[in-house]
Amino acid sequence: MSLVKPFDKLPTLNAATILLVGTDESQQQQLAEAILKEKKTFKINIHVATSLPLPAERDHIRPRIDLIAFMINMQSKHSLRNVEASLSHMDANFFLGKVCFLITGVGRMNHCSVEMNAVRKLGNLYSSPVLFCELDSEGIRAATAQRLLRMLQICAGHMPGVSALFFSSLMKSSIDE
Amino acid sequence: MSSYQHDLAPTITSNIVCSVDAKEELLDECEEIWRQMEECQSKLTLLGIETLPESDAQLSLLMMRVKALTAEYNQWQKRSPEIISTNLDVLVALGKEELQKVDHDLEMVLSTVQSKNKKLKEDMKREQQWLDEQQQLVDALDVTHEEMKNQVVQFSEQRALQELKSKMLKIRAYKEELLSALGEFLEEHFPLPEDESAKKKKKSPAEEPTVQLVTLHEILEHLINKLMSTPHEPYLTINDSFWPPYVELLLRYGIALRHPEDPNRIRLEAFHQ
Repeated sequence: MSLVKPFDKLPTLNAATILLVGTDESQQQQLAEAILKEKKTFKINIHVATSLPLPAERDHIRPRIDLIAFMINMQSKHSLRNVEASLSHMDANFFLGKVCFLITGVGRMNHCSVEMNAVRKLGNLYSSPVLFCELDSEGIRAATAQRLLRMLQICAGHMPGVSALFFSSLMKSSIDE
Repeated sequence: MSSYQHDLAPTITSNIVCSVDAKEELLDECEEIWRQMEECQSKLTLLGIETLPESDAQLSLLMMRVKALTAEYNQWQKRSPEIISTNLDVLVALGKEELQKVDHDLEMVLSTVQSKNKKLKEDMKREQQWLDEQQQLVDALDVTHEEMKNQVVQFSEQRALQELKSKMLKIRAYKEELLSALGEFLEEHFPLPEDESAKKKKKSPAEEPTVQLVTLHEILEHLINKLMSTPHEPYLTINDSFWPPYVELLLRYGIALRHPEDPNRIRLEAFHQ
């Protein structure tokens, strides 16, 4: 069992790593494909996990993780509980801008079993941005991929003058308004 | 595109061959930075794992954020802007690269604006066409409106009169027809008792009738005229010109009524009321 830490390894040159945590593997696959389709100037590693902690035996070959996106499906209470359980296996420093909650399935509000308030509270509790998206729609999927990519670029330190903490503070104040 | 073509920046040629010295210098700088990173990393690994407490996770997280933001702030305050490299070749190459990037971006903006312009022009044209069509429609409707107005006046004066006239003519013709038919009927079935009076004349010339008898047709006409012209006084005095059997006939079949006080006066039953 290994606790993920934001700065436990040296970064890989010209590369960034995102970790998608969620119960729905097909959605993770969809999103990963969308991210890889986007134009980018650096190498991108996408790691997927159903839950944290990550297995310890492969820790030495895993690159430094720059951004963790927790995927919560609005139609599944299980996905929310899974994410909540995973959150306790993280180094607190991650919450300084390197975590975001990706809420999927918001396009069909009448099928929601997870309350909107619950995910908002989660984002508030961990001071992390909450992104809403509908992965079934191609346009929104691409837009979400672009957003994640941009966040990843910042979190990996590829944007001079903008730190992950600074960016997440910006996001937070814009959400609170 | 063509109208802007002459404004476009000349293509920047990156034919500069970086001198070996410049490359060496850059690599050295990178090595130095990487060494610094390794130092920081070794310090970082010494830090233990921090987990959020079960209770008041939010508060401790916010405290952490404050600390981190303050540290970042101080870092920015202390930091002075640094030149990437002092080597001229490197700077020129970088500048060109940057210019090329800007050039590319601006060209993208240009083409976007142009396509937007084109679209706007098309929209404008379409809207103009639509407006023209609407205007034509309004004009056509105005013309129709004027025509309708004139027609309405004609309707109320000429046409209505004509219609009434033709109706009146028809009704009059029908009335004539009815009258003549009724007259014929009366003449055929209720003739004057000529034969008898002629016989009587021959038998007793002394008893020559002083008055010429009137036909049933004429009696009825008198009765009708009386009733119509003076409805308040519809009674007609029976005189000798009325042949008594016909008077009796009229009274018996309820066509005529006797005056309740004066038996010599009769009136027509008020069929029209």
